[in-house]
Amino acid sequence: MKSSNARLLFTLGLVLLFPFTAGSQPDSTIVLVDAAMCEDIQSGAPQNPTTVFSIERRTAVCFTAFDPVPQQTVIYHQWFHRDTPSARIKLTLKPPRWSSYSSIQLRVEDIGPWRVEITDSQGNIYHVLRFSVTE
Amino acid sequence: MDNLLFLISSLRWQDIVDIALVSYILLRFYVLFRGTNAFRVLVGILILWFFQQVAVSMGLIVTSWVIQGVVALGAFIIIVIFRNEIRNVLLARNLRSIFWDFSSKTVISAIETIVQSVHEMSQQKCGALLVFPGKEDLEEVVQAGVPWNGALSREMILSIFWPDNPVHDGAAVIQGNQINQVGAILPLSRRDDLPSYYGTRHRAALGLAETTDALVIAVSEERGDVVVARDSQLKIVKQKRRLEQILQEHMGVAVKKGRESRREKLAFIAAALVSVVFTTGVWFSVSRGVDTLVTLQVPLEYTKRDLAMEIVSTSVNTVNLELEGSGALVKSIRPDQVQVRLDLSKSKAGPNTFSITPKSISLPPGIVLKGVKPSVVEVELDVLIKKELPVQIDWVGHLPDHFILEEASVEPERVEIIGGKRMLEKMQTLYTEKVPLDNLEVEGILTANVALNPASLKIAPGSEERVTIRYVTRLRNQ
Repeated sequence: MKSSNARLLFTLGLVLLFPFTAGSQPDSTIVLVDAAMCEDIQSGAPQNPTTVFSIERRTAVCFTAFDPVPQQTVIYHQWFHRDTPSARIKLTLKPPRWSSYSSIQLRVEDIGPWRVEITDSQGNIYHVLRFSVTE
Repeated sequence: MDNLLFLISSLRWQDIVDIALVSYILLRFYVLFRGTNAFRVLVGILILWFFQQVAVSMGLIVTSWVIQGVVALGAFIIIVIFRNEIRNVLLARNLRSIFWDFSSKTVISAIETIVQSVHEMSQQKCGALLVFPGKEDLEEVVQAGVPWNGALSREMILSIFWPDNPVHDGAAVIQGNQINQVGAILPLSRRDDLPSYYGTRHRAALGLAETTDALVIAVSEERGDVVVARDSQLKIVKQKRRLEQILQEHMGVAVKKGRESRREKLAFIAAALVSVVFTTGVWFSVSRGVDTLVTLQVPLEYTKRDLAMEIVSTSVNTVNLELEGSGALVKSIRPDQVQVRLDLSKSKAGPNTFSITPKSISLPPGIVLKGVKPSVVEVELDVLIKKELPVQIDWVGHLPDHFILEEASVEPERVEIIGGKRMLEKMQTLYTEKVPLDNLEVEGILTANVALNPASLKIAPGSEERVTIRYVTRLRNQ
């Protein structure tokens, strides 16, 4: 598991590194070039990338950036609290490149480990981000 | 009368065997220990116990307490005070005679051997000194004996007292059909009224007879006389028949004829009857006393499970058994005597339903099963598989407000575990045990165990149970 803070460059080869996470490979015409959990988005860029969110901060944000995006398409941010699905957020990507984010409001009952799966419309996984919600 | 007939008709063959065995054991105790002081004390204690029961039923509080105390000490007193007597009884007999023999054939044949040997030594004027212990222990009186522990035989006795044998001057201690020790030194009598022709051998024989209840036979080297020392008296015995009688009387094998023999037979029959009646009474009071109902909560045990499968869940972990039996039996039930076992040999992966039948339940004898709740148990089984899963840190606690945990990695990233297929198919992530944030440095390394939840999960061989966590914190941009 790598930090959500690090700006990760994903290539087609990255998909091959995680063949076990999906039944088939995600749409390779779009490339995920950045994915991070962060506290906020300012000017289209993630602020304070972190792997731990205190419920006092109230919000957890999942940021993703794709380049290139040859044609309009959709991706999903699927939020899991432990292994239980919590939210499935549909995001539309537009050419030629696109950054998007989703967020959840943090409550006391959200304390614990989380993950966000970034998938295409078929459920194929581009990347998984892991973080914890604490007191 | 009807009740009695009902009780008798309800007896199982096991109950008959039960009563017969205990009666026989009691009878064996009587046969082995009859005539001993320990037996008399035991009878006394039984009588005391009877009076204690009477005292309890009459409400005599202090009396029943006192008798109870005495009875409680009884067994201890018998073993401590009469340990030598008990040992003598057991040592003097072989295993067969302890468990089976009612006669004293061994002793009779031993007596014949002794009489024959003594007669031969008398004829040959071969000096001899033979000691036959009574009920008292001779350990502190007889000294310097050489342990022998050999079977009694005519040849052995003759060779022990053969003049060239180094131990021929000492005494041979004979018990039952065994020569226990030879060359033993006996205490000398200090009496001054003994005839002058009695030498040291006779003084030794009398000395032991004066201090103990042992019988001693001395064979004179000069005249060939056979002298028996017993109860501070020396008596010359000229006839083999008389010597045999003396030995029989001493060893409790007195030849009983006519009335005496009949009396002994009657005593034996009475003892047998008392054993049977006593055992039957105890048996009925224990197993057919006032019926008591009890409900026990018993854990379920599973047997014959396919090793390739594991139990995932059960509808219950314990069942309530409604049991009935006499108060004494119900009170004496131990947890390990009551078991409920379900046979999983025919189970399959997935949910299984089992009925708890009397065959699944083992109970102590005399306890009857009246009901089971619940009578049906759902058991879910799963096939064991291996699965490799990513490990995620389960952070807890609180970082200082101006810090964020910028980066954290786990090594190894994935761990292989073994568990039920249906369970592992749903699992996507393994978590570490709780890792506190409160004491983190700017950056550092921690270790944590992988939390296995549920506990039936196991780390696969070759996989790490403990992972290394590397982390970096930094100041938050405001």
